[in-house]
Amino acid sequence: MLLLAFVALSIAVVTLDFRQNSGGPIKRARDVTVTVVAPIQRGFTTVTRPVGSFFSSLAELTNLRGENERLKARLAQAEADADGLPQIEAENEELRRDLELKKSWRTMDSVLAPVISNSPSNYKWALVIGKGKRQGIRVDNAVMNSEGLVGKIIRVDRNYSTVLLLVDPAAAATARVGDLGDSGLVEGNGGGERLTLSSIDVTSDVSVGDEVVTLGRDQGIFPPGIEIGFVAEVGGSAAALERLITVEPSVDFKSLQFVTVLLETGDELQPKKKAK
Amino acid sequence: MSARASRPNGILAEVGLARIAAVTATVVVAVALQSTVLARLTLLGVIPQLILVVVVCLAFTDGERVGVVTGFFGGLLQDLLLPQSITGLTALVYTLVAFAVGMFRIYAPQDSVLAPVFAVTVATAVAEFGYAAMAIMLGQPWVGLEFTIKVAGLVILYNTLLTPFVYPLVRRVANRYRPERVYRW
Repeated sequence: MLLLAFVALSIAVVTLDFRQNSGGPIKRARDVTVTVVAPIQRGFTTVTRPVGSFFSSLAELTNLRGENERLKARLAQAEADADGLPQIEAENEELRRDLELKKSWRTMDSVLAPVISNSPSNYKWALVIGKGKRQGIRVDNAVMNSEGLVGKIIRVDRNYSTVLLLVDPAAAATARVGDLGDSGLVEGNGGGERLTLSSIDVTSDVSVGDEVVTLGRDQGIFPPGIEIGFVAEVGGSAAALERLITVEPSVDFKSLQFVTVLLETGDELQPKKKAK
Repeated sequence: MSARASRPNGILAEVGLARIAAVTATVVVAVALQSTVLARLTLLGVIPQLILVVVVCLAFTDGERVGVVTGFFGGLLQDLLLPQSITGLTALVYTLVAFAVGMFRIYAPQDSVLAPVFAVTVATAVAEFGYAAMAIMLGQPWVGLEFTIKVAGLVILYNTLLTPFVYPLVRRVANRYRPERVYRW
C-alpha cells in the first residue's frame, strides 16, 4: 500500500513536471531546494577544497617548477601587450559601433563567481555558483573562464545561479571555425567526451587543429569570438550532406573552481547606433 | 501525568520524530557530499551515487517501509537539484529499488558482511539502467549507449567499494534512533 502511494506520488511529480511551463510548483520546489541546500554545499566545498587542492598539488609537484617558469614568461609578455590595450579597446569599440558589429565580450560587465557544487548526477552536467540576482546575473547570461566558453545560466536565485555546462547533451552554441570560416552548431555529448560540430557543409575547408569560436549571430545568447575548442576529428564521406566534426573543448570542465559570468545577453549584444 | 500519556501516539510513535530528523540529516549530508567532495573525487570522471547507497543501506537495515519513504525523498531531492531533467524519475527508481531491497533482505544470511554490499551492487545496477531506460523513453536528451554502459559499470564499482564504509554508519544511525516497538492491545 505504501509502495503504491509513493509510486503514484512519483508519477504525479513526473506528470506535473511535464505539464508545467516556466512557473509552477515544481519550479518553486526547485528554488526552495537550491536555496536550502546550497549553503550546506558551500560549507562542504569551503572545508574540503583546501584538502583537495593539497592532494592535487602533491600529484602535480613535479610539474610546478616548469609551469612557474612558463607562467612568468607569459606574465612578462602579457604586461608588454597590456601597455597599449586601453587605447586599442576604445578604438575597437568605436569601430564596432560604426560597423554595427556586436559588442565584444572583452568589454562587457562581468562577475567572477566561485563554484559551489557540481551536479550530483552522472547524466547532467551543471554547476551551482555563488553569485545570483543581487550581482546582476540573469538567465541566458554566458559563462566562461580564461580557457573559453563554459556554458550558460539557466536558473537564478538571489545569491546562487545554476550553469548548464556546454558538455551537457541539452546544451548547444552556434559556432564558426576560424576567423571567417564556416558556421555550425556545437553540441555536448557528456562529460569527458568531445563536442559535436554539426551543420557544416561537406565542401567546407575544415581541418584538424582549427580553432572553433562562438558565432554570436542574430539573437544568439553568446557574444562572438569566445573560444570553444579545436577541431579534433573531421569525418563524413563525400556522399554525405554534411561533415561529422568533433571538437576538443578548451575548458577543463572537471576542475572548475571560479567562472566569469558576462552580464549582457541577447538584444543587449546588438550594436547601439550612434545618434547622427 | 503518566508515562503513557506523555508518549506520542499513532504513526509518529511508530516512526519517531528523532528518527525522521536523523534520516533526513543523513540523506541531506549524502546529497551535499555527492555534489561537492565526491563530484571532484571522481573515478574516471564518474560520480558515485552516495544517496542510493544510503537509501539501500537503510532499506536493508530497517525494511521496505523505511526504504520506500527514504528512496522517494532522497531521489526527489536529487531530482530537484538537477536542472532540465525529469523531476520525479530518480524518486520513482529509488522507491522501487528500496522496496525490493527491503523485501528481499529477509533471505540474506544474518550478520553477513557481504549481504549489504551485494544488495548495493545489484540495486545500483537496476537503478542505473532503469533510470537510463525511463529517461530515454520519456525523451530526455541522452548520451550514447557506450557512455551509459561505462557510467553504469563505474557507478556499480564505486558504490560497491563505498558500501563497507557507509553501511556501518547508516546502521548506527538507524539503530540509535529506532523507536521502541509499540504494542497495542
